[in-house]
Amino acid sequence: MASHSESIIREPLITGKNITYAQITNEVLNPVENKPNKAWWIGFVVASLGAMLWVVSISFTFWFGLGSWGLNKTVGWAWDITGFVWWVGIGHAGTLISAVLLLFRQNWRNSINRSAEAMTIFAVICAATYIVAHMGRPWLAYFCLPLPNQYVLWVNWNSALMMDVFAISTYFSVSLVFWYTGLLPDIASIRDRATGLRRRIYSILSFGWTGSVKTWQRFETVSLILAGISTPLVLSVHTIVSFDFATSLEPGWHTTIFPPYFVAGAIFSGFAMVQTLLLVTRKVLGLENYITMFHIESMNKIIMLTGSIVGVAYITEFFIAWYSGVEYEQYAFINRATGPYWWAYWSMMSCNVISPQLFWSAKLRRNIKFSWALSIVVNIGMWFERFVIIVTSLHRDYIPSSWAMFYPTWIDVGVFVGSIGLFFTMFLLFIRVLPSVAMAEVKLLLKTASEQSKKKLIDEGHLEPAEVQYYKESLVKYDSVDMSQYEKI
Amino acid sequence: MDSNKTYWKGLEELNRTPEFVEKNKHEFAEPIPIEEVLSGGGLSAKTPRRDFLKALGFGVGAVTLAACQKVPVHKSIPYLVKPEEVTPGVANYYSSTYEGSAILVKTREGRPIKVEGNPGDLLSKGGLSAQAQASVLELYDNNRVKDPKLNGNTTGWPQLDKYVKDELAAIKASGKKISIVSSTVHSPSTLAVIADFILAFPTATHVTYDAVSYTGIIQANKNSFGKAVVPHYNFGNADVIVSFGADFLGTWISGEEFTTQYVKNRNSKSLEEKKMSRHIQFEAGMSMTGTNADVRLPIKASEEGIALMNLYNALTGTTLPGSKKLTNANADKAIVLAAKELLAAKGKALVVAGSNDVSIQTLVNAINSLLGSYGTTIDLDAPSRQYAGNDTVWAQFIADAKAGQVDAVFFLDANPAYDYYNTKEIEAALAKVRVKVTFSDQADETSALCTAVAPNHHYLESWGDDSAIEGYYTVMQPTINPVGNTRQAEESLLLWSDNAVKSYYTYVRNNWDTNLLAKGGLAGQAGWEALLQKGFINAAPVAAGTYSFALDLNAVAQTIISQSAKVAAAGKFELQVYQTPAMRDGKKANNPWLQELPDPVSKVTWDNFAAMAIADVKEMGLEEFQVITIKGANGYTIDLPVLPQPGQARGTISVAVGYGRTSAGLVGNNVGKNAFPFYNLLNGTFQTVSGVSVEKTSDIFPLAQTQTHSSFEGRTVIREATFTEYKKDKAAGIGEEEHEKYDLWDKSDDDASHARPVYDWVMAIDLNACTGCGACVVACNAENNIPVVGKAEVARRREMHWIRIDRYYSFEQNGEAKTDGRTGMVTKEKDIAKLQDFDNVTVVHQPMLCQHCDHAPCETVCPVLATVHSSEGLNQMAYNRCVGTRYCANNCPYKVRRFNWFNYWNDSRFDNYLSNEHTQLVLNPDVTTRFRGVMEKCSMCVQRIQAGKLKAKIEKRPLADGEVKMACEQTCSANAIVFGNRNDPNSAVSKALASERTYYVLEELNVKPGIGYQVKVRNTISELHA
Repeated sequence: MASHSESIIREPLITGKNITYAQITNEVLNPVENKPNKAWWIGFVVASLGAMLWVVSISFTFWFGLGSWGLNKTVGWAWDITGFVWWVGIGHAGTLISAVLLLFRQNWRNSINRSAEAMTIFAVICAATYIVAHMGRPWLAYFCLPLPNQYVLWVNWNSALMMDVFAISTYFSVSLVFWYTGLLPDIASIRDRATGLRRRIYSILSFGWTGSVKTWQRFETVSLILAGISTPLVLSVHTIVSFDFATSLEPGWHTTIFPPYFVAGAIFSGFAMVQTLLLVTRKVLGLENYITMFHIESMNKIIMLTGSIVGVAYITEFFIAWYSGVEYEQYAFINRATGPYWWAYWSMMSCNVISPQLFWSAKLRRNIKFSWALSIVVNIGMWFERFVIIVTSLHRDYIPSSWAMFYPTWIDVGVFVGSIGLFFTMFLLFIRVLPSVAMAEVKLLLKTASEQSKKKLIDEGHLEPAEVQYYKESLVKYDSVDMSQYEKI
Repeated sequence: MDSNKTYWKGLEELNRTPEFVEKNKHEFAEPIPIEEVLSGGGLSAKTPRRDFLKALGFGVGAVTLAACQKVPVHKSIPYLVKPEEVTPGVANYYSSTYEGSAILVKTREGRPIKVEGNPGDLLSKGGLSAQAQASVLELYDNNRVKDPKLNGNTTGWPQLDKYVKDELAAIKASGKKISIVSSTVHSPSTLAVIADFILAFPTATHVTYDAVSYTGIIQANKNSFGKAVVPHYNFGNADVIVSFGADFLGTWISGEEFTTQYVKNRNSKSLEEKKMSRHIQFEAGMSMTGTNADVRLPIKASEEGIALMNLYNALTGTTLPGSKKLTNANADKAIVLAAKELLAAKGKALVVAGSNDVSIQTLVNAINSLLGSYGTTIDLDAPSRQYAGNDTVWAQFIADAKAGQVDAVFFLDANPAYDYYNTKEIEAALAKVRVKVTFSDQADETSALCTAVAPNHHYLESWGDDSAIEGYYTVMQPTINPVGNTRQAEESLLLWSDNAVKSYYTYVRNNWDTNLLAKGGLAGQAGWEALLQKGFINAAPVAAGTYSFALDLNAVAQTIISQSAKVAAAGKFELQVYQTPAMRDGKKANNPWLQELPDPVSKVTWDNFAAMAIADVKEMGLEEFQVITIKGANGYTIDLPVLPQPGQARGTISVAVGYGRTSAGLVGNNVGKNAFPFYNLLNGTFQTVSGVSVEKTSDIFPLAQTQTHSSFEGRTVIREATFTEYKKDKAAGIGEEEHEKYDLWDKSDDDASHARPVYDWVMAIDLNACTGCGACVVACNAENNIPVVGKAEVARRREMHWIRIDRYYSFEQNGEAKTDGRTGMVTKEKDIAKLQDFDNVTVVHQPMLCQHCDHAPCETVCPVLATVHSSEGLNQMAYNRCVGTRYCANNCPYKVRRFNWFNYWNDSRFDNYLSNEHTQLVLNPDVTTRFRGVMEKCSMCVQRIQAGKLKAKIEKRPLADGEVKMACEQTCSANAIVFGNRNDPNSAVSKALASERTYYVLEELNVKPGIGYQVKVRNTISELHA
């Protein structure tokens, strides 16, 4: 990484005075090396109760059959595939942050990539549970794998569901490897500070990291290669998920705009989820200096951009439905907006298209509480988007005699709410055992892109005063910068 | 090059020391310590070899023992001595009879599993009603009485016989009355048995009591022409049919027979000849027949008589006293037009009325006489014997019983405790009767009031015969040994009357030998065997004579007017009690197939309801399914949910009978409410119309409908034309020109993979023939082991039927804006919401099943290739491969795929329907039952195709057209469905599909459906729409 000083006009990625490498390690490993605090316990109990609900709901479904869900002959997918697509979409931000931003040398990713990648993995796990759970005979899920067998049974490569199996499994394995590779130096740090059994465990987990130059060199190379492999996945996975709909005949599904629209929506919801998680994590774990207002604002900008893309996609869909002249397609869209599920459509529209536009206001996108609330709104909106696409398309398609309504049962709700519980249980366990910020990568920025290094440059006084003034002004928005030290300058 | 070098391993070898030489003498240079191990420390090591072997031995033994746990043993016992004619895996067919129709009973390994029509049957030409299709399931009904009962306790036949014979002897001595109460018996042998019984006990009488009575027609014919019969109608000879509340395609007298006749003048063949009958229906509630009418007008039930008077006036130009206008002005207009039509079709016209009122039927007779219908469309000389109930005689029996004059009563196929309107009266009457015997094999409501139950055989266990129409005789033969300890009612009567013939089989034989065989030109044993093969005989036809009506109509008109006024005065609403084609009079209420069969009009399953006009529903501020309390003149009240019914006459409520059974069995108990008590006895007949008062309640009682959206939204799914348009252009209504189609696949490749070398199975469905009765649904259920899921699951839209009948309404708005290219027709939901007048509704029925698309959208999306195409054009399901993603069902534009949400065959919640150990015997062994989590759908009865091909192959001949019939096709009396091989240009289906009227549903999707539909043609009256 860059060894020279970064331009003064760039906003700092790490704030705080006199931060040392040791301090970063201490602060980041604080939750890993100490007993959990009360806030964590409260969160963990709530999340585990949710996970228990998931276990109960899934067990009930497996025992009695899919009839315990609210599906019917007309609406064959509802909360299940809504939940699946929602979780897969959420996962996308993690990959985007870790891979695409790495390739584009967006160093601000270094503070958030670890948590975002963890989120990806847990979200994909949640999504994968839906793949199995929505099957009528989940014990035969292995039929979906192209296993050689004496019956010469093979899978159908034409089916988007088949592509899905591969998209999701590839995505999960690559994300896992990428995440774990990035973890290696940090695990080694924990190992070096730990004693006894913990040391042995972290020692095994660190794969014998030595910290030699050669190790670091290889680490950098592998990271780049994995970023290269992951980048197409950011686009391909949700494209393939969108094929589940786009390659069908269903009015409202059979749409060529789906791949880009789904990818944008995925990044949209993924960043919202990163916000939801990190805004709380940075406060509770005291990581304000590493996850700064710059990060929050940057992510809010991405949310605004992708939200707008999604909005354009919604409008384009409407236009194309009209332009196509296909009466079924036209009806499907009019029915979305004005039919029995109008409330779902307008929830989606207001949450996904209208609310992110509020981020045009700098004040709002720098408001932490507002950002957090909006990140929740966005994910509600994205859930409704999938619900609208799936249920309102299916419930009234070609043959009016079969038109029907979908009413969820408590099991439908239990599986979905439970999956959120499962997700948070995994996330909360993660921040207890592994560093939630990539220490090694953050340390890379300390000498260049940190507030203290820039302060040092200012203090050395070789800079244009106008640039310094510009820099000072950009610091005002930070909630973690002590502005008093800049008064004299 | 050979090497002569010598390599040595060590200095010892080079030097050849004595030690080295000594060692190398042996095989091993160093000794192997075997002895040491065997003798020394080897055995005392930490885990000695013996201990190891002990542990191994014990381990293997323990595991072996643990593995010896018993696995469930399924015993299948092979035939020790193979019964003659029974080959496992091969079905046997026996001819028999169901309610006078000749049928074939399919048996497998000795158990009847399906009832099929006999193609030679006089009545329905091989078609069968839904009830007939479902009748096989009743054989295995768990609720059947398995043993005779005396005073509520199970007993044996000898004890029961002794009791009855002792009592009968005592009654005979005392000279008190004995009554045999039965619903109409049209079996010659049964009638002879009853006659013999009466000979033995001269005080005995035979009282015929029909829950749904036709006494009005019988009495009217007696008064008008001196013939106390239900005539044999011939709708096939009628060019103009005007019906006043007669559901003649469904429940009126002989629905299946009338359907075959009716469709003859409306099907493809008839249309090709540019011939189509015109059917005008005036009725209060929307009946299945009404849905098929070319012109249908709602009139109040109490105004049926007045409408007939107006018709008479219009036909004759006179005015009957008391004539007045109808409430519905359009109906008056239509009556004038109908009169014009009828006069123009004199001699080829038919007017029928559903009323059971003598005066109304007398007026109908007068009109038909005017139109010259007797001898052409009405036959009084070979009359129907299907209904002979006499309400007056029945009323007299109750009066006698109440007076204590009757000492013994025998109930044969009669359940008055449920279906007689005055339950209290029948209870009071029966309390005075000492000996009450029922032959019912169902523990029904009447059985509970009886002293003895002598359970009858099911008809599939019985010998017998039938004669539904004069001159047409059918034979009934058993197809299984009795399931329970039952005895045929006729045999009981023979035994109790000490008849010389003790066995009913012998009795039937004797009766045929002496009286009947000769009529069919048969004789002796050979004749009897020929009869059993064929199933029926036709006596030499008697020419239908002409009759003319000569009574004075003034008195008739007066009665009609006064009765109508009486109903109108009794309450704000008129209640019309009707039968649904599935449930009829409720005798089969315990049949889950029938309970789950959607009503042809309302699509409601598992309930009856109060059908009300939409205008009335709005006026009263009612919601759909809101419960109302209906109170009859006699104080009887029921709570029923409201169903807003398009086409229902304002001010009327229609409620179906056959529901509200309290003692039908686990399936039928407390399903709906009993509407029989709204009957009243007036002028000697049961009246089905009465004045009622209605009160709102705040309850909502959702009904389980299989279809909730009734508008086809103007989509080309349904295509219609008027007969006038059709005459101009045979392709009228077909709609747009051919769509331009694109194909992603390489054509040559396409041809190779989609080759249909021998057969290409397709289907043609004529919307103009389908009446929407739903017999095909039940036939398919029986053939394909389709689970019954119950009300709660149907309400969740999870019925499993592989074939369904879609029913769409559209409305005529005179002078209103066009909506979908058809003048004045409103089909779209958003327009219907604004509609005020729901009177002029037209209905179309569309059978919908898997279309077996050549480019099947379900096939491409299945991840595991569980649904694939056959080389014969079938879309097939490999149940074992299905993992249940349901993508195929989502992607099916026709929504015909059905998912097994639960394990319907092994789940206690569904035990009452088909999966208990008795009812499971009805399953077709050629079709597997499906496990939970698996998708299923119409297979085009692939088991039938395979069986047909196999038979042809064994006989070394090609499969003939029409040899393989689909279950739905076979049972359709209207012949609306034709199945066959498209590769054969001469096959019936190829010819049907070649019709200009053929269109394919959602053709524009290019899924290439294998089922072609023929445009619905309506013979509307253009003047009515002016």
